[in-house]
Amino acid sequence: MTLAAPVSRSVVEATELPRIIRIRPNFHVAAFGLMKLLPARFMLDRAEERGEVGPGTTVLETSSGTFGLGLAMVCRLRGYPLTIVGDPAIDEPLRRRLEHLGARVEICPEPSPVGGYQRARLDRLEELRTEYPNHWVPGQYSNPDNPRSYALVAEQLAETIGVPDCLVGAVGSGGSTSGTSSFLRMLVPELTLIGVDTQRSAIFGQPDGPRVLRGLGNSLVPPNVDHAGYDQVHWIGAAEAFAATRDLYARHCLFMGPTSGASFKVADWFSRRNPDATVVALLPDEGYRYQDTVYSDDWLRAQGLAHAGAAEPDEVVAPTGPGGSWTWLNWGRRSLADAS
Amino acid sequence: MTEDLAVAVPAPATVTVTDARAGSFRVDAHHGEILQGVFATGGRLRRGLVTLPCPLYSTRATFLPTEKTGTTVRPAWRSKARRAADLTLARLGHPVPGGLLDITSDIPLCRGFGSSTADVTSAIGAVLAATGRRLPPAEVGALAVEAETASDSLMYGGRAVVFAHREGEPIEDLGELMPLAVLGFGTSPGGRGVDTLELTPARYTSWEIEAFRPLRGLLRRAVRDGDAGLLGRVATASTLLNQRHLPVPGLDDVLAAARAAGSVGVQVAHSGDVAGLLFDARDPETPARLEFAATRLAALDVTETWQFETER
Repeated sequence: MTLAAPVSRSVVEATELPRIIRIRPNFHVAAFGLMKLLPARFMLDRAEERGEVGPGTTVLETSSGTFGLGLAMVCRLRGYPLTIVGDPAIDEPLRRRLEHLGARVEICPEPSPVGGYQRARLDRLEELRTEYPNHWVPGQYSNPDNPRSYALVAEQLAETIGVPDCLVGAVGSGGSTSGTSSFLRMLVPELTLIGVDTQRSAIFGQPDGPRVLRGLGNSLVPPNVDHAGYDQVHWIGAAEAFAATRDLYARHCLFMGPTSGASFKVADWFSRRNPDATVVALLPDEGYRYQDTVYSDDWLRAQGLAHAGAAEPDEVVAPTGPGGSWTWLNWGRRSLADAS
Repeated sequence: MTEDLAVAVPAPATVTVTDARAGSFRVDAHHGEILQGVFATGGRLRRGLVTLPCPLYSTRATFLPTEKTGTTVRPAWRSKARRAADLTLARLGHPVPGGLLDITSDIPLCRGFGSSTADVTSAIGAVLAATGRRLPPAEVGALAVEAETASDSLMYGGRAVVFAHREGEPIEDLGELMPLAVLGFGTSPGGRGVDTLELTPARYTSWEIEAFRPLRGLLRRAVRDGDAGLLGRVATASTLLNQRHLPVPGLDDVLAAARAAGSVGVQVAHSGDVAGLLFDARDPETPARLEFAATRLAALDVTETWQFETER
């Protein structure tokens, strides 16, 4: 480690990789400032190389979360106009941040009867494609450059930790967990991959429905989720994730968002059950966006979520349970069809 | 890269030409690659490799300056060595007009042991020794590539260097390689060999190009910690990534034999037909494991095997 680190050419280059922090001798977290910067930058690099993006190209994407923010930063630095199609999950501060970066933000007010807001956003995106003949859509849910971007994280983990036995991460697009594990498994084929999802997310076979815990889960099944790569799947509730997020801050001074709390809680559980295993949890973003929600006791009480939730998960034999507010399935690297 | 050639490779113990003006230089063979692929450097991707040294064989070049212009090589067919000597003399500004270059080598040809790089590198070293000059390894690499199109990192001795073999330049010097014991074997029946320069470079997929990043990351850690187990994982992963491009026949069986024998990994000469099972040379279990591994390979109808350690 040298103090004279090289000067970064942009904030993206400076912050796209996580900090690796040891929680216990066999338990590390990879804490990102804004994880989605990495796939956003990488997808744009590859699209530029292939000539799909150039001067005059408008970037279009559907996102209600941090991918839009990462993309807005990368597009701003390179001068590409950007339109983000979101839903009411884009809170006012996030909307302002996107607009300050020059992005145009469109909110879909109503969910589609089938596929929810995700479907409504994709439908609006199709309309925009015809409005902008010279456009590029990163497509974080299906673009294979999303998972490929995580080779850099695998390189960093290999160099700093060596060969981990278990990788834990929240699943939304599938990019970080499927991508990082596919690369690590070149070096450690026996790596245990744990995907963290939430109730009423369709990714691992539950019926789609309203979800309080956002930033992970999905109303549709993204092609970038390689189901056959996961050894375990956990469905964790909002109360558990929020309490774990607060705990992560209170005990370890790691100020992170609720998907990080969810990932941390599952990784902590696995690590205690397997004390000899080297465990790494991916923590996708920081806590600033959630100061008025997860970090507010009043808000938690108003939601009826001011409690720790389940301390242990119930093991289930099918995605739909039965079980409590935190369940886990020995997925066993199966396809979605085989597991449902 | 501050070391010069005379430091990177030990000077020879004996000189074959008994003339005070003669210079001699010995270069060990290598055993193919620990890692071969594409690597990000300076914002772009370059083909590169990390060589596994093999002191089982070596090449000695002796250069005797003469008043005649140009170099004469013995045996005459080692023309790349002659070219390397001429290029070195030109690079040094012709301190002598020419010379007589003797090459003595027991490195098998066309198998991936680096015979032609050893010819070229030893010739450059012999000219430097005879003229009392020095060049940094990167310049030796550039001369070697000029003489033979591609090169290996033999001029770095026992260091693990990610080396751009088509430009002759180091991408990253990872440090001193830990001692390894190797059970080598021929991967084609009869050991017929491969003309290395005839091989088309592998066209890696987008995923494969990214997959080399974690291999390089783990190799950094392996070399830093002297951890042969981690290095073995890198070698096996590199072997698997390259299997689509230059397949090793029966690789699955070889990998199973390696696991059963407690080998840390499998490496391959990607421009040849030799491969090796790697072991930690400092592990007291290694001699027994080597013996068991040899019986496993024999059961796979592998007809020729050999053993060596990377440190003499």
